[in-house]
Amino acid sequence: MSSTFVIAWRNLGRNRRRTALALAAIAIAQVSVLAIDGLMHGFVDSTLDSLTGPLMGHVQIHAPDFREERAPDLVIDDVDMRLTAVRRVQGVASAHARIYAPALAAQDVEGFAVVAVGVDFEAERAHGGLLEGLRGQTPGDREALIGEQLARQQGIEVGDELALVGTATDGSIANDLVRVAGILETPMEMISRSGVVMQLESAQEIFAMPDMAHEITVRGTGAPADAPALAARIRRAPTMGGLEVLPWMELAPELASFFSIAGLYGYFVMLIVFLAAAAGVANTMLMATFERRRELGMLLSLGTSPGRLVRIILIEAVLLGLFGVFIGCVIGGTIVAIQGAVGINPWASGDANVAIYGVSFNEAMYPRLLWSDYVPGFIGVSVVSILAALLPAIHAARLEPVEAMRR
Amino acid sequence: MSSPTSLQAQPAPPNLEQLTRRLDDMWSSSASIARMEVEIVTPRQTRTMRMRVWTRGEDRALIVIEDPARDRGTATLRRDRNLWNYLPRISRTIRVPPSMMLGSWMGSDLTNDDLTQSSSYMDDFTGRVVGRSESPSGWLIRYEAREGVVGLWRRIEFVVNDDGTLPLEARYFDRRMRLARTMRFTEVREMDGRRIPTRMILIPHDREGHRTELHYLDMDFDANVPERTFSLTELERGR
Repeated sequence: MSSTFVIAWRNLGRNRRRTALALAAIAIAQVSVLAIDGLMHGFVDSTLDSLTGPLMGHVQIHAPDFREERAPDLVIDDVDMRLTAVRRVQGVASAHARIYAPALAAQDVEGFAVVAVGVDFEAERAHGGLLEGLRGQTPGDREALIGEQLARQQGIEVGDELALVGTATDGSIANDLVRVAGILETPMEMISRSGVVMQLESAQEIFAMPDMAHEITVRGTGAPADAPALAARIRRAPTMGGLEVLPWMELAPELASFFSIAGLYGYFVMLIVFLAAAAGVANTMLMATFERRRELGMLLSLGTSPGRLVRIILIEAVLLGLFGVFIGCVIGGTIVAIQGAVGINPWASGDANVAIYGVSFNEAMYPRLLWSDYVPGFIGVSVVSILAALLPAIHAARLEPVEAMRR
Repeated sequence: MSSPTSLQAQPAPPNLEQLTRRLDDMWSSSASIARMEVEIVTPRQTRTMRMRVWTRGEDRALIVIEDPARDRGTATLRRDRNLWNYLPRISRTIRVPPSMMLGSWMGSDLTNDDLTQSSSYMDDFTGRVVGRSESPSGWLIRYEAREGVVGLWRRIEFVVNDDGTLPLEARYFDRRMRLARTMRFTEVREMDGRRIPTRMILIPHDREGHRTELHYLDMDFDANVPERTFSLTELERGR
């Protein structure tokens, strides 16, 4: 067997240019597969991070029907007690309450539509919060941060006074004045376009929601993928009866299926790439066996069994394939590692405001590879090489030695 | 021949033109002052407001809430197609932007747009007497929006009583011909010389368990309401 291996290896060295070309084809295929994998991971990472970060968290809690109706009176009551209970659940990193109240706002007489968002400023300033990266003082009572696009559109400036009118939870008319404490730059479309963000307590007072909120956003200590288990644990916690506890996959099913489609797409690309590699290997091996007819005939006439001949050719093909994949791994791995270290920004071209699920993306993403990303290349190319070399190998094994040597 | 109703004399179908004019003019007058109660029912709560309403012509209206105390003095002014809300607690007047015209008025099932409508069945719709209606029992009249008329409703069906003098029920179909809301007209009483339904029950079909009832407490169809009632300065003047 080992001499078979050596012969196969040496055969590869006989026409170096052809072998190099075949290697290059396979290597390029593997580099593309790895580059796509790397991008895909980087994209999923950054998207998931942005989405399950400030916007959704890993798990959200609402009153049933709130997500469909958005009726301001569909509230979570006893919010403080429930928050305490949620924070005690194993695997919960943070939990905080929010209020979303549609309202009519005005600086002077002209009204415009806004959403008053009540949040826990301290909690939302932490990593992954709605207000991550917010500098300066925390707004006080009856002070608000205005979404950047809203401020620009309505000409709102820091220090302005804004009237808010809406429907309070008890059905009465909520109306109050808030002072603009700052302009909020946020990737969250809804907040940027229509958000008037204030302290939870202020919102609770204005909209008559004592100890109430519309949403509890929970971040887990684990990965976004662990959200369903986290949601199940929270559901079992005391005081969660009658509330809807959902992981982000169910809050944004389109997003979850988008990611699985992206995964399928990756496989599809890989399939095409491997077919191209197979064509390269098949061509090389066909040429190699055709060229060596005389020599193969000689080997057969000297008593080499046809089976061994098949093995030599197949091993040659697999070696060629694996070596190509290996080179591809080195180059592809290096490229992705460099991209991952530097970060690439696909949204950087101009002012493009790409919004996915209400979150606009302008941050760089960091491609990365899992060890498992390298494996399919090796397996795929091995299988494909064997299949591609099988025909020339069988052809060689069936050669009539004398016939083959005569030409 | 076997059904007892068919043995009775069938009432004659109403005169469409007379009926249409009556529907258009039922509550309108050159100027009026009314007091009404609005009951807003949601699956979770019921709220009652009392308010005073001044109107002048087709396109001037002022509504001021008198009760509950928390909302007292809150007012809505309509001039033509514009709507302003006055909020006494923060002493601000805010115009309702076009983007919010379809939003709820004061938390009810009425939209801001409803308050600025002055469409006429005569001018904006083509009517047709369809025939008898079973539930409620009366005549079914169908109004289809005229070509080119901009409005929310493509069809409005009325069921009117046998002699064609009073509406019993109206059904509003949106641009996609979906039944969007039903209005029931009940408690017919004589008010300031007119026999009119004094309670209207609005049922939106896209919000289960929601209902808004409008109840006229008293009405002066022939009031003296000066034009300046409907000005922004008057709106903000303490009432």
